Amino acid sequence: MSGIRDYFGNISDALTSTVKGMGVTMQHFVSEPPITVQYPHEKLPMPPSYKGIHILEQDKCIDCKLCAKACPVDCIEIEAVHHGRVLEWQKFTIDYKKCIFCEFCIPPCPKDCIHMTSEFEVATDNPDGMIEDLLTWTGLRTEDRRAIDAAEAKRAGRAVEEPKNGGPAPGNPSPAGTEFTSKFAAGTWGAPGGAPAKADVPGAAGAAKPAAAAAGAADAGGLAAKTAAIRAKLAAGKGAG
Amino acid sequence: METLIGFFSRLFGLSADGVLPLTLAYSVCIGSLLGFITVYAMFAIWMERKVAAHIQVRYGPMEVGGWHGWAQSIADAVKLLFKEDLIPDGANKFMFWIAPAVVFCGVFSGFIAIPFALGVQIVDIHLGLFFIVCIASVEVVGVIMAGWASNSKYSLFGAVREAAQVVSYEVPAAVALLVPVLIVGSFRLGDFNAWQEQHGWLVFRNPFAIVAALIFFIASLAGCKRAPFDLPEAESELVSGFHTEYSGMRFSFFFLEEYASMFVAAALIATLFFGGWTLPFVHVSAWPVPFGIVILLAKVFAVIFMQMLMRWTLPRLRIDQVMAMGYKYLLPWGMLCVVGTALFEAKGWRWLPF
Repeated sequence: MSGIRDYFGNISDALTSTVKGMGVTMQHFVSEPPITVQYPHEKLPMPPSYKGIHILEQDKCIDCKLCAKACPVDCIEIEAVHHGRVLEWQKFTIDYKKCIFCEFCIPPCPKDCIHMTSEFEVATDNPDGMIEDLLTWTGLRTEDRRAIDAAEAKRAGRAVEEPKNGGPAPGNPSPAGTEFTSKFAAGTWGAPGGAPAKADVPGAAGAAKPAAAAAGAADAGGLAAKTAAIRAKLAAGKGAG
Repeated sequence: METLIGFFSRLFGLSADGVLPLTLAYSVCIGSLLGFITVYAMFAIWMERKVAAHIQVRYGPMEVGGWHGWAQSIADAVKLLFKEDLIPDGANKFMFWIAPAVVFCGVFSGFIAIPFALGVQIVDIHLGLFFIVCIASVEVVGVIMAGWASNSKYSLFGAVREAAQVVSYEVPAAVALLVPVLIVGSFRLGDFNAWQEQHGWLVFRNPFAIVAALIFFIASLAGCKRAPFDLPEAESELVSGFHTEYSGMRFSFFFLEEYASMFVAAALIATLFFGGWTLPFVHVSAWPVPFGIVILLAKVFAVIFMQMLMRWTLPRLRIDQVMAMGYKYLLPWGMLCVVGTALFEAKGWRWLPF
């Protein structure tokens, strides 16, 4: 007897579950709008703690190389010439082909000048474009040169006048130090005297575009220009806040 | 068909029963049918992806071609056509080569007997229904050839499952198809349309006809290897079953075959149970031919939509469940339907007032 009950029970189970299931799928089909995001066209906001590409507050940085030492994949390369406290920047690159976005470079920084943004689009079809220079200027800015000149003049002057005054003037302890208060604002970044290499990259890429041979360079410039724009925007936000 | 033969014989000034007009007419029919199947399959694949996506609360293809990714299937087809044609080492080359053609021919032949509208039928076969059911079985031979010739265990498993499943489900499908045949008293598909134009849809003729339609729908799902009966190509178990080793154009033939057989099954359901190109209460046969085609296609796509909805609702059955379903449930109930319908027709009973 139970066999017969099972038989008809199976039929009714199959029918009811199928009808119910098709009702559910039909309801999804008809009335539920898609919840997925059409990624390249619309983007979800990334959380602030997201570990994306880096930004560097270059005028805070003291070239201590602690971040490069902390990096487990050795993707950070820093070169700068020290003129006393003033730095003549050569390069500060992160190779995003190697970077694993582990965030180990952030905590060691004594000046808290390297940060990770929530920007994650570093993909490119040109591998050279993956090596990203974080510097906003290279070489010496005019104020840097002025600071060096002032320091040298001071040292020269002090060498002569020290016996008379008996020490540095109060309120003016270190000429270089006064220059390096927070310049972390968008206006000061494109400062005069900055080396043209970095500032001109977008323009150079634009000029090179007609030349077919420079397609790779144009692509690298595209990424650089994009990240530079992001950094400028972030910097402006930080300066305003 | 006769119209085309007449047209070509008049064009060349030949007699209507000559070889040349006949050949030309058949070429035109076959060419247009191939074009129709290709375009339909592309549309159906796009539709399947969209239906699946919206059931799963996502968008599906959105990029290619602009509006909702309408050209996605064309892009896929072009990609498949240009891909390298791989033949595995140790495969039986001739069988491997011929299997997709056999599979596709079986389904393609089914199309020639479908009445798309009044007079729009390539060959008006007297045993049209019988012909479609029989020619659809040729597909199994091709699938077994593909599975065996691939020299792969997955392919062979898929092919053997396909043989077991499709051959089993042809029995309940054929038994369920006896119900409309009993009511109409003919195997000619045009007769079903004519009968239903006069008497209304066959599925409402008696309660057993509804059950028979359901049984044929389920059995045709299994015959088309559609989920929940997609055991021959069960991705989670057999990589992709009998066409694991196929790539490029040959693979696209298997794909085309699946969607084409869906169309044939849906067209059979529409023609036998839901009036084909006719509508209740109006005389479509008096209207221009395109109306009939549009009506039939609308019904076919409604059935295909149900097949897709079923696919994205139910999980895959186990092989023993598939067999139990075929032999223990569908077949006895199909026979019951035949007996019940015979009783209804013999006594002249009606269960609905019209």
